[in-house]
Amino acid sequence: MRFLQSASLPDRLSLEPSAQDSHGLGGVAVDAELAALCSALPSHERESQIFWRLRLAVLRAHLRHVLAYARLRTSLVVGLSLFFWFGLFMLFYKGFDFVIRYVESPGSRYHSDTMLFVFPLFFLSLQVMLIFSSGIILYSGLYPSREMAFLMTLPVRDERLVYYRFQEALFFSSWGFFLLASPMLLAYGLVAHAPWYYFAYLLPLMAAFAYIPCSLGAICCLVLIYRLPALRRIIVGAVAIVIIVLAYKSIWTTLDFSQNELLGNSWFKDTLKRFRFTRGEWLPSTWLSNALIEAVRRAHNNPRDLPWFEAGKYFVVLVSNALALHLCVIWLGKHLFRSSYWELQARRAKKPKLTLAWVDRLADRLLFMFPRQTKLLIMKDLRLFRRDPVQWSQFLIFFGLLLLYFANVDRFRDHKSDINVLTWVNIVSFLNLAVVGLILSTFTTRFIYPLISLEGRRFWILSLLPVDRDTILWGKFLFAACGSWLPCAALVGISDVMLDVSPMVVAVHQLICLLLCVGLAGMAVGFGAMMPNFREQSPSKIAAGFGGTLNLVLSALYIMAVVLLTALPCHFFLLAGKTDLPPRLLQPSYLRLWLLLGILSSVVLAAVVTILPLRGGLRSFRRLEV
Amino acid sequence: MLRFDHVTRTYGNRVAVDALNLSLQRGELFALLGHNGAGKTTTIKMLVGLLKPTSGAIYVGPYNVVENPREVSRLIGYVPDLPFLYEKLSGREFLRFVADMYGMPDASARAAIEREAERFQLVEFIDQLTESYSHGMRQRTVFAAAMIHQPEILVVDEPMVGLDPHSIRLVKDLLKAYAVSGKIVLMSTHTLNIAEEISDRVGVMKSGKIVFEGKLEELRHALPSGGSTLESLYLALMEN
Repeated sequence: MRFLQSASLPDRLSLEPSAQDSHGLGGVAVDAELAALCSALPSHERESQIFWRLRLAVLRAHLRHVLAYARLRTSLVVGLSLFFWFGLFMLFYKGFDFVIRYVESPGSRYHSDTMLFVFPLFFLSLQVMLIFSSGIILYSGLYPSREMAFLMTLPVRDERLVYYRFQEALFFSSWGFFLLASPMLLAYGLVAHAPWYYFAYLLPLMAAFAYIPCSLGAICCLVLIYRLPALRRIIVGAVAIVIIVLAYKSIWTTLDFSQNELLGNSWFKDTLKRFRFTRGEWLPSTWLSNALIEAVRRAHNNPRDLPWFEAGKYFVVLVSNALALHLCVIWLGKHLFRSSYWELQARRAKKPKLTLAWVDRLADRLLFMFPRQTKLLIMKDLRLFRRDPVQWSQFLIFFGLLLLYFANVDRFRDHKSDINVLTWVNIVSFLNLAVVGLILSTFTTRFIYPLISLEGRRFWILSLLPVDRDTILWGKFLFAACGSWLPCAALVGISDVMLDVSPMVVAVHQLICLLLCVGLAGMAVGFGAMMPNFREQSPSKIAAGFGGTLNLVLSALYIMAVVLLTALPCHFFLLAGKTDLPPRLLQPSYLRLWLLLGILSSVVLAAVVTILPLRGGLRSFRRLEV
Repeated sequence: MLRFDHVTRTYGNRVAVDALNLSLQRGELFALLGHNGAGKTTTIKMLVGLLKPTSGAIYVGPYNVVENPREVSRLIGYVPDLPFLYEKLSGREFLRFVADMYGMPDASARAAIEREAERFQLVEFIDQLTESYSHGMRQRTVFAAAMIHQPEILVVDEPMVGLDPHSIRLVKDLLKAYAVSGKIVLMSTHTLNIAEEISDRVGVMKSGKIVFEGKLEELRHALPSGGSTLESLYLALMEN
């Protein structure tokens, strides 16, 4: 027995001799026995097989699940992806057709120059995105993952764990690259009447290329996390700010053109010069571009001119670099992963003191008109939302990008007298409204729709309180509608100010924005209460179910209907008197009526999509037994 | 067989485990007790390779946990407090994956899966996806996975949480029998009556230190005014 105490008990009341050391005579036998057990662990190849078998089993189960329970979502995703792919294909086909018709055919100097502008720029952008996305995906797969904590307790090699996760990061970060690049390269090959080996090279070239930035992202992730605990937060912050400032400055310098030069001869020359950095010889995107340009041309009566061979040389460069980087990832995985995991796990979690923030105080004042219980429920949802950065950070990025775009959409202002420009201004302003609505619909589907399902496990708290169930649902509806209206109205307002649209259009936009917020919130809360999923704890999985998909599709249809109902009359109304409108019903005297009818229809539609789902939701929620 | 040599683990300035010395031998069921935050889970996480000691060393037989994590993992079976299962695998597929990872040959793996399924009464649902399992079913599946390779040391963190009385009985008998068969069981628990019933020795942790380590009889002897049950003795020890 051992008794150790620092306070009132004596340091060691009694102490038995420590347990038998296993390194005695018997210990040697035990050690040999243990070593024999450990000698039967799987080889590298066997480990690889086991992980592939695991992956295939999980994939099979996923496919079975998708075919049985998520047909709507799957057909929607596949359908939209195909639509997107063919849309891109047509766009690129027309673009390359223009280049070949008006510049020159493959093999000529001007054609190469043009394509050596387009391809490296395109692939360099994707290369940067692949580095970031694979690094981020690998991080989330390796470090904060419960699966990884489980796998680390099994006798698996560290490099295998890293490679297993890297394969996932490779797949999830590069599928977008294949979706974008495949229609472009296929269209280029078809337009340029490329020889067979161009098409044979396509897939291996893309795969070898994608592997390089993904490996670089993985290497950055492993090295950064390995060194991160040793770095002071202030240094990391300062370096991040310097990088952002430099990136912003270089982008600004690259894209800074004066209005007069736009699309002129000197503008093109200047553009080619400004983007020279994308054609660096050491960049994988340049190797890929060169390989494609070589592969697409045909040899002209010169037995020494072998385009397939020239393309092959670049392919070899890509493959050899990809393989070298693969070895680096494995080596770093073996030597850095476990140490970095340990360091990250041993960091002390920050426990911030939670006080009444200014946001809460502000919301408390803004919600003065609501009953106290409703106000408290809204405040509760607001706090939960605010304290979970995963919830709002993605939308902060989306809305931030939109804000950046809206703030720079003032190119049309100088040409407002031109009828074509006026037409575009009106179209763009309504398109901006639709984009805000579509982002809002993903927000309501991802975060508002699962709210009731998430209450399932903590429903006893609410059900024990003297709160009417209708109040709970109304609270969520008001939280969603009011919470989304402020940022959306501000964004639409900024877009209108930058486009310098008429006060009437501003008023119409603000009304439609309000209708969108109310309608989308009503649908998300109503459907969420009608089709709750209390088994699932992850909001993203709840949103990905049938109800969430249905909500997303209906929301998109609603946005299109409302925007079209007001955009078309508004469009013709603005053009009335400035251009010839032949049909009798499109004459100015009728257009005011059309505009009024369009707005009224939108209001009626908004009322329908808000009231019907909410009524259904209230009915289901009253009957709910958890 | 299992030795903690002056092991310390800190999180920033906070010392979670402070100079822990502990030695366990074959055939022993050791219960680690202590309040929340006493350092039990940190101790276990260091043993199973999820955390590295800030100083000191842990040995399983001849293997240092930090230097030979793969060998140590082969000798340990771990049941965490929050069980992890692949939602899209059946119980049988999950157990097969774990058996393969321990390098078990095909025939042995099949036999071991049948044995554990029988032992933990998984037969009825072993071919269903684990996403449909209740907490108790999940916990039993994780137990089966931890024992599929007959580990030399079974490490169990809060084994009884969420189990029904029947499963609790099953797990208690199993842990006891496993220790009797010559293996080591290291269990962290708040359920003092179970620790009292099945453990050979207990270790009580407080603020990262072991304040008592020994048999229950010895604790009664050392704290004569502390009552006779482990619960009363534990509370008396904590009040000191």
